[in-house]
Amino acid sequence: MQKAVKENHTISGYFVFFLISVSQTAAAIFNFQCLVAGEAGHDAWISILLMGLSLHLIVWMIYKMLGHPAKDVIDVNRSIFGTWLGNVISLLLVGYYFIMALFFLRAYIEIIHVWVFPALKTWAIAGLMILMIYYFVSGGFRVVAGVSFFFMLTIPLLFLFYIPFQQGDFHRIMPVLNHSLLDLLKGAGISSYIFFGIECLLIYFPFLKQPDKNRKWAHFALLYTTIKYVVIILVTVMYFSQGLLQHTLWPTLAMTKIIELSFIARFEFLYIFMWVLVIIPTVCIPIWCCTRIIKRVTTLKPRLSLPIVLIVLFIIALMFKERTEISALEKFANVMGLWFNFAYIPLLFLITIIFLRPKPKLS
Amino acid sequence: MTPNLHKALSEISKSVDYLQTTIKVNNTCIHFSYFNSLISHEQFHHDLLSYIHISECEINSINDLKALIPNEAIKVSSTIEEISQSLAQGSVFIQLEPHLNEGLLIDIAELKLGHRGYNDTENEFSVIGPKVGFVENLNTNLTILRRGLGTPKLIFEEHIIGSVSKTKIVIAYMDGITNPQYVNTVRQRLVDLDFDVVFESSLLEQLITDHSNSPFPLFLHSERLDRIMYSLLNGEVAILCDGSPVVITGPANIFNFIISPEDYYLPWILGSFFRLIRYFGIVFSTLATSYYVAILTFHYTIIPRDLLGPIIESRVNVPFPPLLEVLFLEIVVELLREAGARLPSKVSQTLGIVGGIILGQAAVQAGLTSNILLIIVSLSALASFTTPTFKLSNTIRFLRFPLIVLASCWGGLGIMIGIMFILGHLLRLKSLGAPYLVPLFPFRFKSLRDNIIRLSYSFSSDRTLFNRPISKKRYTLQKNKDIEDDYNNE
Repeated sequence: MQKAVKENHTISGYFVFFLISVSQTAAAIFNFQCLVAGEAGHDAWISILLMGLSLHLIVWMIYKMLGHPAKDVIDVNRSIFGTWLGNVISLLLVGYYFIMALFFLRAYIEIIHVWVFPALKTWAIAGLMILMIYYFVSGGFRVVAGVSFFFMLTIPLLFLFYIPFQQGDFHRIMPVLNHSLLDLLKGAGISSYIFFGIECLLIYFPFLKQPDKNRKWAHFALLYTTIKYVVIILVTVMYFSQGLLQHTLWPTLAMTKIIELSFIARFEFLYIFMWVLVIIPTVCIPIWCCTRIIKRVTTLKPRLSLPIVLIVLFIIALMFKERTEISALEKFANVMGLWFNFAYIPLLFLITIIFLRPKPKLS
Repeated sequence: MTPNLHKALSEISKSVDYLQTTIKVNNTCIHFSYFNSLISHEQFHHDLLSYIHISECEINSINDLKALIPNEAIKVSSTIEEISQSLAQGSVFIQLEPHLNEGLLIDIAELKLGHRGYNDTENEFSVIGPKVGFVENLNTNLTILRRGLGTPKLIFEEHIIGSVSKTKIVIAYMDGITNPQYVNTVRQRLVDLDFDVVFESSLLEQLITDHSNSPFPLFLHSERLDRIMYSLLNGEVAILCDGSPVVITGPANIFNFIISPEDYYLPWILGSFFRLIRYFGIVFSTLATSYYVAILTFHYTIIPRDLLGPIIESRVNVPFPPLLEVLFLEIVVELLREAGARLPSKVSQTLGIVGGIILGQAAVQAGLTSNILLIIVSLSALASFTTPTFKLSNTIRFLRFPLIVLASCWGGLGIMIGIMFILGHLLRLKSLGAPYLVPLFPFRFKSLRDNIIRLSYSFSSDRTLFNRPISKKRYTLQKNKDIEDDYNNE
């Protein structure tokens, strides 16, 4: 069992709201619609609702499993699988969080390439971003949590979806429930990557003050994300016809393009640049999780492991060149996330509940 | 006289203002040694010599002499260090003829000469409010601070810093309000300090700060009495330094620097409004010119068609890329500001007119810059002066330049990266161990109403809670019953 995290490294429990909701915003908000609608058509919003609601169960499991006393998934792994095998599984988690970070970062770099700077070299953007990530993560968990708080500044941008909503056609979401349950579930499965981010809770759980009292904030975050995505997909389905939607790569950006005020046009630029505020914490949180696991399992200090992880991230981010490769990464991350959330976490939960019941307290 | 004491005193006597006189009273030789330039001659003659001259009884020992002189700053000493140090600070050393290995040290230093009598807070001006400021004399500062707060809870704690200057530093805090943790931190850092001459309290600030590699000020500094009193009341620690009219207080957060005391003298609606204007000024002055560079270099499509016309028209004859154009004008403004700060106030007004109007107009006519940029640059210069504290406004002006360069390299992405670096820096900063971005991060909702905007006094009865004061209430709220209720009395 690890020692309790020092009080001056912990953060208030309600910060879990920002930490979860910022990771779930990511770059996926720009292009999730066409994937989900590809499976569930105009009923895609039901798929997202299903997915969002079922994840509440997972969050409940995580809180149940890790509370009393607060511990992280590394401890759970050790107590279930033994020290040696538990450590190996924890190290595999490093790979999972790393792929998450890679996916978030690469998806955003691609948007910058396609929408703003087609000629800018990938290594320049990736290098800048990774320098920034280094600066934040080396400040410790409080700094990572702090920067995820400032994603609140991007929330007003969501209200601008009212303008494409005005242009939309309400009849496009009718008739409701026109798709089979299988289609809806397929759509839900494919949308799992927009809910990435609650898994990091497994690692930073001991850093939260009074986690039980603030459990509701994790659920609020999930609820907020679900509502946000449902609203966006409703607006999208109303705005695009199904045929056009299949051929639009970033429907959210295409919709914001029509907004024009007297002093600013091309709103998608504003969106893309403001999204740095979202992307940096989204990548920082999994990277921090990587260094945390490495620190707990091996004796490697974050001062050493962080540059190594970031250099590997930089090199691998450069290897992706074409849209098809990034889309393959997206699919892979999606399947992996689905298994992680709906197989690994419930499995741990069941074993903890059934076999590792809290024994009567020893002195 | 022991040889060592004699040697030490003769070393000092090389100095021309060092005097040694001897008088004979009742058959006893009395030696006086002192720095002529430091002591108060009035006190020397009236309060010292006259008492010795009129004495009737025999003076046989040091203690006889000590009993004779009505002065509380008097002590018997025989150590060389103490004697030479006290002499250098304005004491008189008195020896009796047979007992030369010890003597009396009497502090009669001249405190009035060489000091300003008053300070009219010209550098932190406010229309309403007291104009009393601190001066270079530590005793005066302690007097006005004690008189202003008028409570025995105000504690002054003296420390001597500086291996050469032996400057007096006073830590002031409110007993029972200030969190002792902060007082201990300040005390510890001051005690651990080794420096030769402390010229200024702002210099001290840089020596005891948490992060010395930061453009942001980590202690609030002020010449205004009311501002320091307000900080003390909210549980901060103040550091006064002899010879400096600036008092520094900590822990500070970035929002402290945007507060002006005048906010509290105006009705709260106006106070909050002006404070919000200052926030806008800060954001505008940091970002305006870099946005200009980013938009004109990369994202001209972001400008609507109707607005694009005038901008292109004003830039059509300018031969430089936006980056050079902006840097040229920004540096001109910085030169004007720097020159204005160094020149006597009467000349600088003329300079403002020459620089601001003539240079600007000529630069546009010569086709070196565009009209629109001239407007933006002068507006952002103006906006940077709305910050009520000098140090933060310097920081803001400095931050513009990296942002402009980033904007010219990567457009809007560059600006966002710059902003994120600043944000990360602010998140990592600490002042006396307390976070610098509080009450935003860590988020303290209750403190927003007095630290971000200024709400009515009926809402801000608590002290600044994130300073963790020991007693939390400043005053109790009571309904004012004297106000006539027109509606019910009808």
